[in-house]
Amino acid sequence: MKQFMTLLRKDLKIEFRTFDILSSMGIYAVLVLVVFGVAFMLGENSYDITPLASGLLWVLAVFTSLLGLNRSFNREREFSALEALLLSPLDRGVLFLSKVTANALFLSIVFVVAVPLFVFLFLQGGVQGNGVLAPSAPLVLAPLAVGILGIAGVGTLLATITLHTRGRDIMLALLFIPVIFPLLYSCVTASSMALLGISDSMVFLQTLGMGVGYDVIMILVGWMLYDFVLNG
Amino acid sequence: MASPSKKDPATPAVELQSLTRNFGVRTALNKLDLTLPAGAFLTIFGHNGAGKTTLLRILATIEQASSGEAKVLGFSTKTEADEIRARIGFISHQPLLYADLTAEENLLFFARLYGVENAQEKTRALLAKTGLASRSLDVARTFSRGMIQRLSLARALLHDPELILLDEPYTGLDPQGTETLNALIDEIRDERSFILVSHHLESGLERATHVLTLDKGRIQFYGTRNEYENFVDATGKTSKTSQKTSQCTGGQA
Repeated sequence: MKQFMTLLRKDLKIEFRTFDILSSMGIYAVLVLVVFGVAFMLGENSYDITPLASGLLWVLAVFTSLLGLNRSFNREREFSALEALLLSPLDRGVLFLSKVTANALFLSIVFVVAVPLFVFLFLQGGVQGNGVLAPSAPLVLAPLAVGILGIAGVGTLLATITLHTRGRDIMLALLFIPVIFPLLYSCVTASSMALLGISDSMVFLQTLGMGVGYDVIMILVGWMLYDFVLNG
Repeated sequence: MASPSKKDPATPAVELQSLTRNFGVRTALNKLDLTLPAGAFLTIFGHNGAGKTTLLRILATIEQASSGEAKVLGFSTKTEADEIRARIGFISHQPLLYADLTAEENLLFFARLYGVENAQEKTRALLAKTGLASRSLDVARTFSRGMIQRLSLARALLHDPELILLDEPYTGLDPQGTETLNALIDEIRDERSFILVSHHLESGLERATHVLTLDKGRIQFYGTRNEYENFVDATGKTSKTSQKTSQCTGGQA
């Protein structure tokens, strides 16, 4: 636990000093929202975007997180700091968990800004203004939390695997999207239900449960295999 | 975390038995056998690609042997890596630090990872010893090459290691930086074992008690410094090899 906190504090300290990950993810997220907003605003007809909202939200989540994940090991690559970590008597699983936590925190911070903007632009009388939000809409935060954790877990593992590959940015995207698909399916479906109105709460919970199961399995796999991944 | 045990002078610093490392079809290290006594200063010479850095990385447990066995301070690199990591210090031509942390933050971070007691005091003492006390609050990114190397040395000494591995530490250092690094090595020389990979014949031999020369992953010579000097006198070939390597300025095995 001590090593975990030491590693996490270090990642947070460097990020809040440089804003390397947060600034790139934040600017990208806002740009995507603005572009979508302008595109919908230019249409002659008025649309109810609510049925599409879940898809828009997860397009934003996946591509924003890819940008952050690609940068999450920059500080370890520069000055060969990762080698210094590997030289220490540090449990590799702890290193994985600390990176997952840091990445999940950074994604959460970006979504704290992006989600209200998303709601304002597309769902609450912003650009279109004709969308009707279901009373269950705030429940969209549950699939978002599950999705962020899973994206951080799988993304950290894949970012480590692609760390020393040529063209690692594109390699990470190529590996990440197929691997994350079951989680995306679960989160997009659960988000749609929340935004459009939950008719059967059991179906909503089962769909969300699939995402939670995915997160648990993938984070456990990452924790167990991290030593092997780093040595490879 | 494993804490360093009392040093046993009878336990060799390094023992290699048929140590082999392959990268695909290329053999980087080919059946190396040697025993380095505790407290020795071993200098490893060899051309680029001879296997020097690969050997050092296996001893540091950041790379694994393909076959054979390597023991460091009596612990197996395969099964007791954490025991070894707690007892070795590694200095490379790479900084092995965080560029965006200050000198003090870097040392405190690594001290906590190693479970060093009185981390704050130890950090301050090492910053003073390496002449970096006045720059302790500056981020490492702003340091010169010589200062980075001194900070790297401080990081490697935080947990009071029994064996120090130096992988071409003089690369990129100016004469003053080299002098400072040598002075620091001399200061911590007692009761520790050292393994130095170097391309510089003179500086490499200066502190050596033992010498190993590698050629295409095989041991060309291993013995004490006196034996090496006799070997060089007797065989002009090795002397030429060493002179050639002394002129090289970089590259990895």
